[in-house]
Amino acid sequence: MSQNDKSGKISKILRQKAQEFLNSLDNTSILMEILKHLESGSDTASCLLAIDMIFSNMLRDGRMCVEIFALKGSEKTAETARAKMLQNIYEQCFKGIVEYINNDNVKIAMQGLSSAMNLLGLEGKNPTNIYMNETENYFPLNKFKMILMKLLSDKRNNSVLINKQTEYLLFDDIMFYTWKLLPSLTAKSNPNEFYIMNYLLLLEKLQISPHSHTKYLCYNDNSVQMTFDEVLIKKNLNRIWPCIMVWDHSIETHRQLLVVLLEKVLLHLDRPLLLTDFLMDSLDVGGPVSLLALQGIFTMIQVHNLDYPNIFSKLYSMFEPEIFHTKYKARLFYLADLFLSSTHLPEMLVAAFAKRLARLALLAPSEDIIIICQFIGNLILRHQGLKYLLHNTNGITASTDPYIMEESDPNKSNATRSSLWELRSLQSHVQPSVANAAKFISSPLPSVEWDIGKILENSGDDIFDKEIKKLSKLIVLHFERPTNGMSLSRGEKLHSFWEFT
Amino acid sequence: MAKTKNRKRVSVDHIQKKRQEKGAKKTLNPFEMHINKEKMRVLGKKLKNERGLPGVSRAKAIKKRKGTLLSEYKLQHKSNKFTDRRIGEKGHAPDEDKIMARFAALRAKAHNRKNIFNLADDEVLTHKGQTLSEIEKFDDPKSDEEESEDENKTGKLDSNFVENAHFGGGVLSKTGQEGAKNHKQLIEQLIEESKKRKAEKQRIKEATEELTEKLDTEWKDLVQIVKPNKKNEELVEKAQLNDYDKMIRELRFEARGTVSDRLKTEEEIAKEEKEKLEMLEQERLDRMKGATETGPQRPNHRSADDLDDGFVYESDFEENILSYDKDGVAKVQVTAEFKGKPIVPESELEATNSNNEEEENPDSDQDSNCDEQENSDVEQDEDNSNDEEKMESDSEDSLADLKKDESSDDSESEKEDDNKPSGQDIIAKSKRKLEISNDNNAKKVKLSENTLSTSERLELEKAGNDLPFTFKLPETYEALVKMFENRSIAHQKVILERMIKCNHPSLSQGNKNGLGLLFVYVLQYINDLFTDTENDVHLKQSFHTFSSLTPYIFELAQLNPENTHNSVLEVLKEKHQEFRKKKKKYAGLEVLVYLKLVSLLFSTSDFRHQIVTPCFMFIEQMLKFCRVKTAQDIAYGLFLCTLVLEYTALSKRVLPLTIVYLAGILHMAIPKTSVKLIKICPPFKPLASDLVLTSDKTSLSTLNSKLNVSYLIQSEVTDEFKIVALLLTLRLLNDFIENLKDLPSSVEIFEPINKFLIQIPMEFYPKLVRDEYKRVCDSLEKLQSERKLEYLVLEAKKPKALRLYEPKIVEIYDIKRRKVQSKEKAEREKLMHKLKKETKGALREIRRDKAFLARVKINERIQSDKERRARVNKLYAEAANQQSELNAMDRKNKRKK
Repeated sequence: MSQNDKSGKISKILRQKAQEFLNSLDNTSILMEILKHLESGSDTASCLLAIDMIFSNMLRDGRMCVEIFALKGSEKTAETARAKMLQNIYEQCFKGIVEYINNDNVKIAMQGLSSAMNLLGLEGKNPTNIYMNETENYFPLNKFKMILMKLLSDKRNNSVLINKQTEYLLFDDIMFYTWKLLPSLTAKSNPNEFYIMNYLLLLEKLQISPHSHTKYLCYNDNSVQMTFDEVLIKKNLNRIWPCIMVWDHSIETHRQLLVVLLEKVLLHLDRPLLLTDFLMDSLDVGGPVSLLALQGIFTMIQVHNLDYPNIFSKLYSMFEPEIFHTKYKARLFYLADLFLSSTHLPEMLVAAFAKRLARLALLAPSEDIIIICQFIGNLILRHQGLKYLLHNTNGITASTDPYIMEESDPNKSNATRSSLWELRSLQSHVQPSVANAAKFISSPLPSVEWDIGKILENSGDDIFDKEIKKLSKLIVLHFERPTNGMSLSRGEKLHSFWEFT
Repeated sequence: MAKTKNRKRVSVDHIQKKRQEKGAKKTLNPFEMHINKEKMRVLGKKLKNERGLPGVSRAKAIKKRKGTLLSEYKLQHKSNKFTDRRIGEKGHAPDEDKIMARFAALRAKAHNRKNIFNLADDEVLTHKGQTLSEIEKFDDPKSDEEESEDENKTGKLDSNFVENAHFGGGVLSKTGQEGAKNHKQLIEQLIEESKKRKAEKQRIKEATEELTEKLDTEWKDLVQIVKPNKKNEELVEKAQLNDYDKMIRELRFEARGTVSDRLKTEEEIAKEEKEKLEMLEQERLDRMKGATETGPQRPNHRSADDLDDGFVYESDFEENILSYDKDGVAKVQVTAEFKGKPIVPESELEATNSNNEEEENPDSDQDSNCDEQENSDVEQDEDNSNDEEKMESDSEDSLADLKKDESSDDSESEKEDDNKPSGQDIIAKSKRKLEISNDNNAKKVKLSENTLSTSERLELEKAGNDLPFTFKLPETYEALVKMFENRSIAHQKVILERMIKCNHPSLSQGNKNGLGLLFVYVLQYINDLFTDTENDVHLKQSFHTFSSLTPYIFELAQLNPENTHNSVLEVLKEKHQEFRKKKKKYAGLEVLVYLKLVSLLFSTSDFRHQIVTPCFMFIEQMLKFCRVKTAQDIAYGLFLCTLVLEYTALSKRVLPLTIVYLAGILHMAIPKTSVKLIKICPPFKPLASDLVLTSDKTSLSTLNSKLNVSYLIQSEVTDEFKIVALLLTLRLLNDFIENLKDLPSSVEIFEPINKFLIQIPMEFYPKLVRDEYKRVCDSLEKLQSERKLEYLVLEAKKPKALRLYEPKIVEIYDIKRRKVQSKEKAEREKLMHKLKKETKGALREIRRDKAFLARVKINERIQSDKERRARVNKLYAEAANQQSELNAMDRKNKRKK
């Protein structure tokens, strides 16, 4: 409480002082006082706020404004001298503010960023040096570069700040100048991980085409329209991308890189086929990276005619029991559905997939079993030849399942000689929804595929809620009295395995 | 009878006659036929007047006219006529037939409804065994004349008169009088007599009325004298009879005992109970199979006439279709029942025995047994509660005893049940039960004598006596807690029991809700018992309290199922919400207890149950997400696995994550090197080896095969825990394997287990564990070797029958154009048309009639002319003759002259 009170009081005082300074611009001592206080380290946020207030007011009122005529320079009056001085102070202060962007305290860093951007915007609108003969709009490029450099720091992960920056990236001019500055900010040699991460995060937030609602931070809306040069942006992107690719990537940044690549970059690259090797390598990394790579390859195959024969065995090998505990499970199923949507795939391959998924279902949580059941159902619907997995009238009985789970090549897994016993077993799953999902194998198949997309994101909680909400009038109690204190008359297990005394 | 026969004969004759006539007529003369020519022939059109028989039809018409018109003509201008209506006169039948027909008609008339009771002439009538003829011969015809003197006064007719007038006198009593009195006289006499009688009656009546009136007037005078005295008397009488009357009235208006069923005998009660249990069990099995499974039950048999509309006229037809498989063995299993027990071939019996044992358990005696057990348990628990530490070992012993008793009792009774479930047996059983319970009691007494002084028992009783006998239901939860505060478990039990008893829903309206609230409070109480348990003793105490309160909770649940359902559901929801916030952390101990309570209160074997199914989900999620680090975590997970096993013990369903979890536990017992990673799914860590036993413990002798609940709050993994946890895991696995062995992919389900099992070094473990280990390995091997996988075959699609359409009926096309007009108009038109046609026809007929009559007349004329001419001729002839004779005479005279 007291802390809050104190800081509140201080911010009040600071605001008062700022007001005083604004009233009498000559009294620079007040400004100095505030700056000193800022440097002292306490109440940084409120100091920043105060400085922000001072300079934004000054910029708005044009008090630092100096008119410069071409070839002549500015007039040498007392006013201009004072303005010049103020400008210097402003420059210094701005540098100081930008420094605070890298502060450890997130709050201060955020304040710094927002102050800097605020001042930047105001300066864009009210330039300090007015060049009388120039028509082009002024953008404080240097200052913006400073801010970006701080954002792309190699000291720490600036994800919060970069998220904040997305608010400013909604302005077309900021977006454009970010693209413009990016090549110069891209490290040529191997940067460290923080830098890469920040860089990729920023890249992820950028977009290439202008927004539908044109908004400018640094220009008045009624002033001359800025040209949003998409060609230049694409050129810049193609310039920086090879640099990014050669950096040393850790798994984290690798994943981020792939995300950026898939979501933003791939469509705009001039020669995407150059990425093939990179994607191939990524595919072998395992985990989410290979999944992302898989998606990339899919796009390449689809859009750019890449031919990669081994893709299905890669996909096949990605179905491991561990997937149920990962976040990218839904994406994997989505991709697998996409890959296997072709009806021209060899039956042997599809059968192997179906069988492998069925095996996995024996270890999977309930919600995933439902997905798998429908997935297999869809596979069989697409490939009518796979019906022998459900309907084998040879009349023979096997002692073991001919399918080989350990085989990594789907074509050698012997799935075609097997049958989907796993689903028959899952019909006696404890969850009625799962048991019902597995029941499709014993009735004629429907004519329309199941829509997997709807259930991919289902979790156990959903099933829980659904079952809780399922209203049934039937209330069924146990009719047999507990015999011995708390043991059941039939099927009591707790007492035979646990000792309560 | 005779009538119908007659008719039949007649009809047959008739038909024959007709046929003969037809046969005679059929020979048509082709020259008599006239064919009408058509100008245009239309195919398919039928003409009425295509051909005709003009001669025949004319003859017919003439014949008809002769019958009608001619006879009328003949009777013209005649005022009277004769018609002979005698039977047989109409036709021209022979005389014999006529006579026969008349006789038959006479007889038939005698048999109509009125005359049916008239005696026939030819039947011999009897009176008191003697024929009337005999009586007529020998009896005095006037024998009842003596009594008639008296009768005469009543105004009835004189018997003499009646005899003569009504019956015409007997044969033998004919007197000379008869001739004198003719019928008219008799009637007159009759009328006279009856008039006289009526007058007499009237007179008597008037006299009586007069007398009555007189009496009334006299009575009125008398009343004034009599009244006061009588009133007094009445009062006294009233006072005297007051109590009695009251009683009488009370008794009269008292609710009378209605006729009810007699009290049931013990056997009947037992039988009913058994039937009820069997029914409940059947319902449970149905639910276990799931509604969806039984929903689209399609009959195997399909009739050839099946219209594919889902109509089934006999549902259990399928069982009776006899078919054979390749080996010629009938596929149909004929299930016969003998005295309510299905008859099974012996070999099968043996096979299914193990399964059936569980199913058949809910026998009447078992249940009553349970009750008894419970009673004894109650006592036992009370014992326990007072001195826990002392009783620990003993109570366990006694429990084991009880269990043994129970099982042996069950098996025996079952055997007997199979053989002859007769009343005697049940009596014998109940006797035996009594003995057993006595036995138990005796044992208990002995036990208590051995272990604790009788004072303890006395204290128990005192506990019952100490407490007030009635308890109000607590209004708030705090009230309940206050009531339970500082009370021993025995006290708590007594309080709860009395609360339920005193506030049974049958006693008052609001009690049901009150008990519902009590149930909620008890749930809350249990919740509070198990949250924040730190030490062993407290935990065990809590479990003990829970265990002893369970029967009453069950009772409460049964009293108000809806409330139970809703409140448990609410609790579950709340607990799950809490769990959702922190998925890595196990929910509290109270959740375990609640889950156990669910298995106690609800039927866990159902295919879908609104409470049990979410519970499964809850357990699954906990097994999936919660971290496994400490002993506490492992124990918690194992507890959950045990619960899953318990839930699915009857339904034999599978929850894959339990097996995965147990595999994870096994994985933790494998020593690992960092070089060789063994893959494992989260929440287990690939490098975790917390349960690896590092030192030799083979000599560990005091090993409990059960896991103690105290591990649920102990975080340190001791060597003993390692051993016991592994042992428990193995034992659980054994049960799971047993449970799931019928699933087609059981081997695949237990694949991870198999993989990890062989990697666990067993040399350090005690023998008990090693045996268990071996057992699991063996059963897994057995599973593998005995498996028989039958390839999946889809259910045959039922052939779609061709649809039968409704016959389409189209109006026949008619060339005739019909006017479009209103119905009335059309009708009128039609009638007018008909009228016209009929008029024409009638005119034609009249013309023809006229012609016919004219013909008749001319014929008559011709006939009469002919006759006249003949007569004239005759006259002429005679006259000529006469003239000739005259002439001759003249000539003779001339000659003579």
